[in-house]
Amino acid sequence: MKLKRYLIYWLKTSELTFESLIADKLSSTLFISGKLLRFGFMLGFLLAIKEKIKLVSGYNIDQLVIFFLIYNLFDLVGQLFYRGVYWFRSDILSGDLDFKLVKPINPLFQILTSHTDWLDIPQLFIVVVILIIRLPHVAWQNVLVFSLLSLISMLILTAVHIFVAALGVITTEVDHTIWIFRSLSGMAQVPIDIYSPSVRGFLTFVIPIGLIFTFPAKALYGLLTLALIFWTIGFALVFYYLSLKFWYYSLKTYASASS
Amino acid sequence: MKKYWLIFRLSWQNALTYRLNFVMWRVRSIIGFLASYLFWLAIVNSNQNIAGYNPSLLLTYIFVSAFLRNLVLSNVSYGACVEIAGGDLSNYLIKPLGYFKYWLTRDLADKALNLSFFSVEIIIFYLILKPQIVLTQHLWLFLAISFLAALLYFFLSFLISTYAFWHPEHNGWPFRFLFIMLLDFLSGSSIPLDIFPPQIVKIFQVLPFSYLVFYPNQIWLNRVNTNQIINIFLITSFWLIAFYLIFRLVWRRGLKNYSAYGR
Repeated sequence: MKLKRYLIYWLKTSELTFESLIADKLSSTLFISGKLLRFGFMLGFLLAIKEKIKLVSGYNIDQLVIFFLIYNLFDLVGQLFYRGVYWFRSDILSGDLDFKLVKPINPLFQILTSHTDWLDIPQLFIVVVILIIRLPHVAWQNVLVFSLLSLISMLILTAVHIFVAALGVITTEVDHTIWIFRSLSGMAQVPIDIYSPSVRGFLTFVIPIGLIFTFPAKALYGLLTLALIFWTIGFALVFYYLSLKFWYYSLKTYASASS
Repeated sequence: MKKYWLIFRLSWQNALTYRLNFVMWRVRSIIGFLASYLFWLAIVNSNQNIAGYNPSLLLTYIFVSAFLRNLVLSNVSYGACVEIAGGDLSNYLIKPLGYFKYWLTRDLADKALNLSFFSVEIIIFYLILKPQIVLTQHLWLFLAISFLAALLYFFLSFLISTYAFWHPEHNGWPFRFLFIMLLDFLSGSSIPLDIFPPQIVKIFQVLPFSYLVFYPNQIWLNRVNTNQIINIFLITSFWLIAFYLIFRLVWRRGLKNYSAYGR
């Protein structure tokens, strides 16, 4: 019953977002073109250096392309569902968060899913098609682990967005925080193994970008040990739990200013 | 002149009043630089020569790009777009103030502020990362072309802002978004453009974007001869004049179309 209510809410807000996007077709076209260009340029760059570079930290360019595609897959899914956090700052400044807090739907759900980004769908479709074409033969066990780690990846991604929203409530700063995360996550367009051990440690244990983007891709190639898989699951659960704790703490500091 | 000096000072005060905002902006800038540097460092660790770039040339390219990003590509004049879209432009049109000069001053203030912080950051990162930096033989030419590139980017950016005269939706952001995506790649701010096949490099040569970061960078790296330097200056000047004239034309037409939405 509760799930049905959430589904109806999400479908309704998504429908409204979609209507606002098609009401301004030129803007939507420009946004989609920009996203496709960014994706195409990076893919083109990787393919252009194929002849000039043999290996990067043990990975060949074809493998780097797969890592790049999987990065895009999770990045796009994250933006598709959680774009709402980009609008959250105005809610805090204006005090409109009050309206979300009094509704019989989890305020976090309302905040994160308030703007389903349909403009990411064309790129997502292209990424999936290229991924299917370019992916080498993968053992079914690896596909299974990839599927499991994809769910874990989404859980961590959700937790990151919760952390950003909570920080927003405390500091009224959201835009830069989410963009800092986006800039950092850009480092995972390539496997984080190519970086020095300290950077790799930071991107795994502090800001778990490696777990979100690199680990699922490594699972496809069977490059993860069982211990690492269990460790990732454990980390994700703790990280998610902490994000919720932080969110509830942040609400205690919310002053409902301007409302 | 006095009023523009006041605007310059006010811009600094404004930026330093919202300190958290400014610090976060600098953090983003540093992450962008580090991400690019570490990516290329990993590549040069496995490959000693990439399209004529040895490790020190490539890593210097990233350092110089970071400088050019702060000097050339840092810009606040996108605010003009918001003011046109929201009707706030009207406030300026009735004041004894040149709107174009107003934003040029604010842009200069922003560049000066960014560069002053960048200078400290880059020294710290140089001491930590200890890269082998290639020193230029054309310091004055590099500074001169960087100044022209900054001016060229200002005209380009202001031209993009005029889009809001006709499409004020989303504060004119969609067109700027497309522009930024093009700029990010075609300026060569994170990837040396001559890594691409020669046919594609020829296309880059005729576009104005490569004269913002890539070619000034080539001058620093001593990778161009005297004739090529002259060409770079001539083409940059050509684009500068062309975009200035286009901007004036579009601005006049835009003002005729301006209806002060939201006022």
